[in-house]
Amino acid sequence: MTAERTLFAKVWDAHRVRDLPGNNALIFIDRTVVYELLGPPAIEQIETRYGGALYDPRRLVAVNDHVVPAKDSSTAEQAQVLRTWARKRGVLLYDVGENGICHVLVPERGLVVPGSTVVCSDSHTCTLGAFGAFAFGVGSTALAGAMLSGATIVARPKVMRVFVRSRLQGGATAKDLALGVVARLGFKGGTGYVLEFAGDCIAALSMEERMTLCNMAIEAGATTGICAVDEVTISYMRGREFSPGGEAFERAAAAWRTLVADDGAAYDAELRIDAGELVPTVTWGTNPGQSAPLEGIVPHDAEPAALAYMELEPGTPLRSIALDQAFIGSCTNARIGDLRAAAAVLAGRKVAIPTIVTPGSQAVKRQAEREGLHDVFQDAGALWTHATCGACPGLSTGVLAPGMRCISSTNRNFPGRMGAGGRVHLASPVVVAASAVMGRIASPSELEAPVLA
Amino acid sequence: MIVEGSIFPLARANVDTDQIIPTRFLGSLDLRGLGRECFSGLPGIDRLYAVHPDATIVAAGENFGAGSSREHAVWALQGRGFRAAIAPSFARIFEENAYNNGFVVCAVPPDAIDAVLAARSARIDVAAESILLDDGRTVEFKLDPLRKEFVLGGGFLAYMEAQIPEIRAWEAAKS
Ligand code: SF4
Repeated sequence: MTAERTLFAKVWDAHRVRDLPGNNALIFIDRTVVYELLGPPAIEQIETRYGGALYDPRRLVAVNDHVVPAKDSSTAEQAQVLRTWARKRGVLLYDVGENGICHVLVPERGLVVPGSTVVCSDSHTCTLGAFGAFAFGVGSTALAGAMLSGATIVARPKVMRVFVRSRLQGGATAKDLALGVVARLGFKGGTGYVLEFAGDCIAALSMEERMTLCNMAIEAGATTGICAVDEVTISYMRGREFSPGGEAFERAAAAWRTLVADDGAAYDAELRIDAGELVPTVTWGTNPGQSAPLEGIVPHDAEPAALAYMELEPGTPLRSIALDQAFIGSCTNARIGDLRAAAAVLAGRKVAIPTIVTPGSQAVKRQAEREGLHDVFQDAGALWTHATCGACPGLSTGVLAPGMRCISSTNRNFPGRMGAGGRVHLASPVVVAASAVMGRIASPSELEAPVLA
Repeated sequence: MIVEGSIFPLARANVDTDQIIPTRFLGSLDLRGLGRECFSGLPGIDRLYAVHPDATIVAAGENFGAGSSREHAVWALQGRGFRAAIAPSFARIFEENAYNNGFVVCAVPPDAIDAVLAARSARIDVAAESILLDDGRTVEFKLDPLRKEFVLGGGFLAYMEAQIPEIRAWEAAKS
C-alpha cells in the first residue's frame, strides 16, 4: 500500500473484511436502507429462508417513500409488508406521516455517518457520497445479503478524480454541474469508477448541493460519487437526530476530518471542469447525458431515436419547446434549498401549465411551510403535495399521459420514466419554475417583473 | 452449464432498466406477471417479438441494463423465457443482479457484437466462457471468477451466510 491514498481508498480500507477472488472484496456495511417498492423481495428471502435473521437490526432503516400514501391495494401491500416486518424485527421505521424519499430522509436524520458504508436497493443511494461515505445501490438479493450478513461483495472500482475549479455563476446551479459531469462523461463513461469530487467549487457547495451532484453519479454509469469531509459536512451533522452529542460529537468530528484525499494520491482517471464555464442546462433526449445549454438548440448530431421519441427536430431552440407539465421534486432537487430557489422564481407570478411541487421529505415540507413557501407555490397556482417519490418514477401524483411533455427537477428522462409515452426534460428547480410560468422551456432571466400584490 | 437458443437482436445501446421493465410494473408484490411486460418500455418491441417469438438469448449494444437497481429487470427477462444476454458491456447493478439469479451475462469484445446480432442462434458454454454462433464462429467472454460460481451453482445468499462468523469477528476486532 502506498502512503498516499484517495478518499475512496480510505473508506474502502476501513471496511474491507477480506479480499475475494477476482477483483472482489467483502465490504462491511454500516447502514442498510430498505424501502417498500424494492425491499419486499429481500424481506421475503430473509424471512422464508433464514427465519428473519438479521446481522444487526440497529444497522437497518426502513422507509416508506416511493408511493406514499399507497395509491392502490398492491402498493398498500408493499408498504404493509415493510412496516409489519420492521415492527416485528425491531427495525427503525419511517412510515406515512414522517416519511421522505430515503436519500433525503436518511441524511436529515443523521443516519449517514461520514466515512461509513451504505447500501440500499436503489441506484440513487450514491447521493449519500456527499458525506464522504461509500454509498451505492444494489439489487434486492444483494440487499438481502447485506441484511443477513452485514456485508456485501463489491468489485473494487477504479477512482476518477472529478476536479471542479472556480465557482458556479450566471444562474448555473449544482444541477447544472451534475448534468455537465454526465454530459462530459457520457451516459456510461463513469462505468467501473467511483467519482471523487474535488476542487474549490466543491468545497464551496452546501451539503444539499453536494447531494444533488452525487445523486447523478449513477447517470454516468459510475458506482457512486464521493466528496471530502470538511467543516460544511461537520456543521451539517451537528445536532441531527442520530448524531452524537457533546464530547462524543467532537471526537467523531475529529475522526471525520481525516476523510480527505492525501496530497499526491494517484487516481485512475481525471476529469477537470471549470465551473465558471457551466451554464443552465436542459436535457433534450432520453438519457441524462443528452443535454444542451438552455440558451442553445437541440444538437444537429442528436441521436435520431431519441429525437423521434421526444418529437424534436435538430436545431430547435430549447426555449421554444412548449410544455404540458412542470414537476419539482425527487431525491435530486426537493430539499429546502431547492424549494426556496423555486419559490423565489414563482413569487408573485402565475404558472401557465399544471405544476406539481413535491417536497423530498415531510421534514422538508414542514420547514417549507414554516417559511411560507407553500403559500408562494399555491398562490402561483401550483399543486403543493406531501412528500413522496411520486411523479419521478411515474407511479403517483403527477404521472404523464402518452405524448405529454414535462420539465422536471428529477434525474432520469428515460422513455416512459414518468409514465408510458411521456417526455421528460431535466433541469434545475429554478429553470423548472421559470418554465412553469412561461409554459415552455424558459430561463428565470426572461421573466417579467412579478406583479406584487 | 450450457445455454442454447435463438438470438433476440436488440441492435441498440443503453437499453435501460425502465425499458426492460417500466417502473409502473414495480408496484406489486406479485412478480409472476413481469415476463409479460419484458421490454415493454421499448418502442417497437412487439414487431421484434413477432419475428423472434422463441428467442432465449438477448443480444444488445453496450451498457445494457443501465439505470435503476431493480432486480425486476432480470426477473422480467427470465419470466419472458430469456436465459442469457450478450453485449459489449453491462451496467454494474444489472450485472450483479444477473449473477445472483443465475442469468448468464456475456460481456464480449465490442467488435464481436455485430456477428452475434447477425447470428440466428448461439450456444453459450458458461464454464468455458465461450459462445459458438450458428455460423461456426466462436466468441470468448470473461466472467467474474467469484460470481461465476453463483451463476453455475446459485447460492449467493448461502455464500454470504457462510461469511457471517468472519464478519462478526472482523467487526469485534475493529471496535
Ligand atoms: S425520487 Fe425518483 S430517483 Fe429518487 S429515489 Fe425516488 S424514484 Fe428514485
